[in-house]
Amino acid sequence: MERFINSFNKTFIVEGRYKLFITGIENTIVIALFATLIGIVIGILVAIIRYSAKNSRKLFLFDIICNIYVSIIRGTPVVVQLLIMYYTIFSNIDNTIFIAVMTFGINSGAYVAEIARAGIESVDSGQMEAGLSLGLNRSKAMFFIVLPQAVKNILPALGNEFIALLKETSVAGFIPVIDLTNAGNIIRSRTYEPFFSLYSVALCYLVMVLGLGAIQKRLERRFSQGDRN
Amino acid sequence: MIEIKNINKSFGNNHVLKNVSTTIENGEKVVVIGPSGSGKSTFLRCINLLETPDSGEIIFEGRNITEKKCDINKIRQKMGMVFQHFNLFPHLTVIENITLAPVKLRLQSSEEAEETALKLLERTGLSDKKNEYPNMLSGGQKQRIAIVRSLAMKPNIMLFDEPTSALDPEMIGEVLTLMKDLAEEGMTMIVVTHEMSFAKSVANRILFMDDGKILEENNPKDFFSNPSHERAKEFLSKILYKI
Repeated sequence: MERFINSFNKTFIVEGRYKLFITGIENTIVIALFATLIGIVIGILVAIIRYSAKNSRKLFLFDIICNIYVSIIRGTPVVVQLLIMYYTIFSNIDNTIFIAVMTFGINSGAYVAEIARAGIESVDSGQMEAGLSLGLNRSKAMFFIVLPQAVKNILPALGNEFIALLKETSVAGFIPVIDLTNAGNIIRSRTYEPFFSLYSVALCYLVMVLGLGAIQKRLERRFSQGDRN
Repeated sequence: MIEIKNINKSFGNNHVLKNVSTTIENGEKVVVIGPSGSGKSTFLRCINLLETPDSGEIIFEGRNITEKKCDINKIRQKMGMVFQHFNLFPHLTVIENITLAPVKLRLQSSEEAEETALKLLERTGLSDKKNEYPNMLSGGQKQRIAIVRSLAMKPNIMLFDEPTSALDPEMIGEVLTLMKDLAEEGMTMIVVTHEMSFAKSVANRILFMDDGKILEENNPKDFFSNPSHERAKEFLSKILYKI
């Protein structure tokens, strides 16, 4: 019992190490949150371009670019992308949190794009036609009629994607970022006590994921009004 | 009002419309009938360019709408369309369904649009449904709302694409009654339908289509009592069966 308390003390109290955990949690939340936002914006944009390219030759070039983007991102490991960003593309930027946000955001965008495209395609084509027949142009019909229904359809998949993203940020420590996992690593390398550092890191992730899951459920309920045609 | 000149449309190797031409006058009620796969729906969908004809011209109120520089979205505001499967927007309430287009196109303020919508709903006896979502409505109610939604744009012509084909038999009457009222008010209408009684009582003219062509054009009285084309005779004998 004494060893147990001693270990706890070393992991959290000595040198105010709990502060490092808090920094880690904050950074993980910041990275995951902004990466999610970037992912949504990129993903929906890419999905709309790829969907619209079917009806318009003008978007041909954009469609190719989007395809290349999705293939490259999905075809390479996120850790490698992170290192490439850190050592080459953003090599003269010191803010590693920014680099992590960009990497995970751009990475997530490719996956969201695929999810969102499936969502847009799942909306009956009669919805777009009804919008057009009322005189709306394609983008207005997309924005006010198709997208809200698509978002509702993809909410479960989108929620899973963001839970995966949150957990994926645990590799951010490959570059000098103090995210939650890295904070645990730093403390363990000082205390040589793996128990508390690892389990508390795991618990923090679990709590965050459960929180996200609860938010997801609420959103799904809100969007489910007017279900079924 | 609408002049359709030699339009052709193919889907892949399937030549669906073959040199279709006709003219629709202001206030006319034209009913298009024919066997399935004859190109009726495609013909209707070409008129508001939901399908783009491969060749031919469509002149609407003096403007060639098949030209590239024509803003089809503007034209469509004046052409209402009612679909077989209603295509109400399931994520919006009835009143939002009706006011969406006029408000988003900035033709009316949301108060004005709501007022117009309520008047139209009242006329169709559906004002108690204004805050319901479409999934709470019966098929007949949905289709009447879809008609109201089109009317809210104050169109000059209404296109109906088999408006009663997806309905339970007991719902058909209420939709046809509304369409008949509309016809009596002088709306120009093009209706693709299998409701022969509606065609007989409302149409000024019947277009009989088969195999992508208009085979016969006549007033309903003569068409139903004495069809001239062999294919039309065969079609009528099959659908007007007597047991």
